[in-house]
Amino acid sequence: MTVLPDGVSVDAEDGETVLRALSRAGLRYRVGCRRGGCGICKVRLVLGEVAYERPIATTVLSDEERIEGICLSCRAIPITSIAIELQEGDRLRKVLGFAFPA
Amino acid sequence: MSVMRLGFVHIRVTDLEEARNHYSNTMGMKVVHEEPGKLWLKCWDEYDHHSLVLEEGGVGLVKLGYKVQTKDDLERYEKRAQQFGCTTGRVSAGENLTVGDGVAISVPSGHRVELYDEIEYVGTDTGALNPDPWPRDGRGIAAHWIDHALVAADDPGLLERFFTEALDFHVAERAITNISHPEVLGSWMACGESPHDIAVIKGPDAKLHHFAFHLEDWNAILRAGDIMSMDDVSVDIGPTRHGITRGTTIYFFDPSGNRNEVFAGLGYRTFPDFPTVNWTEDQLAKGIVYISRELNEAFTTVFT
Repeated sequence: MTVLPDGVSVDAEDGETVLRALSRAGLRYRVGCRRGGCGICKVRLVLGEVAYERPIATTVLSDEERIEGICLSCRAIPITSIAIELQEGDRLRKVLGFAFPA
Repeated sequence: MSVMRLGFVHIRVTDLEEARNHYSNTMGMKVVHEEPGKLWLKCWDEYDHHSLVLEEGGVGLVKLGYKVQTKDDLERYEKRAQQFGCTTGRVSAGENLTVGDGVAISVPSGHRVELYDEIEYVGTDTGALNPDPWPRDGRGIAAHWIDHALVAADDPGLLERFFTEALDFHVAERAITNISHPEVLGSWMACGESPHDIAVIKGPDAKLHHFAFHLEDWNAILRAGDIMSMDDVSVDIGPTRHGITRGTTIYFFDPSGNRNEVFAGLGYRTFPDFPTVNWTEDQLAKGIVYISRELNEAFTTVFT
């Protein structure tokens, strides 16, 4: 998957969420509960498809948002190659720079 | 008599089986009753029938139950809540499993608070006759009891007024903008002698920030943190200490994203004449996380 606007690409394993794949690559961005309950980690899906294996409350992610391509990155699992755009004002931060040199 | 304690927390969870695993195997609660889509649980050191109700579908708080001592208390607080301007209603015995007649109050922040004076007594796991200090078969974190809840309110000062004027709580600590402009940003209030039984911070009305489990001490907090890592629990903040209440803490999330806390160290006792401690906005991060003095973004943005 590719993360915009940084343009960083990361491989996700089968069944892995967007958040898990980015964390495993030593990257951080804006997240909240990491369990689908708060909606803080929403990102915009600009390319590809994601699926949810667990229920998401409609109070957290509305049908309108889903149609607009907003997804909950802590629960969304890529099922194709995807490109996501972080929320305005957010960016990727590298927390394991020694393990994942640029 | 005053309100005695936070008796039960009723929340929504997106997946009941994941929630069952978290609250029973990680937190160490016991499932005391179940019906399709609903679970009732208690901690080993609690003697009432249950302290947590989990209902499948969505996230967030359904209601908080506070236990009072007598029927007279119910009537008095119902009247006082109405005088404050709140909508109230009666709750019939059995509407809450094993709980007697009660009073439901829609408090100024939109949360539902229910008062009751009777619930089935089942006893603690160690009993009340020559007891051991803790049960040998405790699971996971083996939390002692549900201690307090922190809710969000658009006007924390109004909710503080409600709990103090209508329900006789007293303010242990308060967060304000500054001394010359003391707008209330948060309030930690007690009905008994512990530092807080309810707390409120500025945020969206009717939302839950967290509810907390009491642990014995700082060692138990560290051990709880180890268990959270073993069980892949999403941790928000800690282990650290609060400036406010002096308690030691870890904030974390249940599998639906509802925030929990493990809380230890009753830092002091709050008698009715306890002088309120104030924290100004510029020092509030220190009040909440005393050691790092820096809050993460999630702490002030995640409500369910």
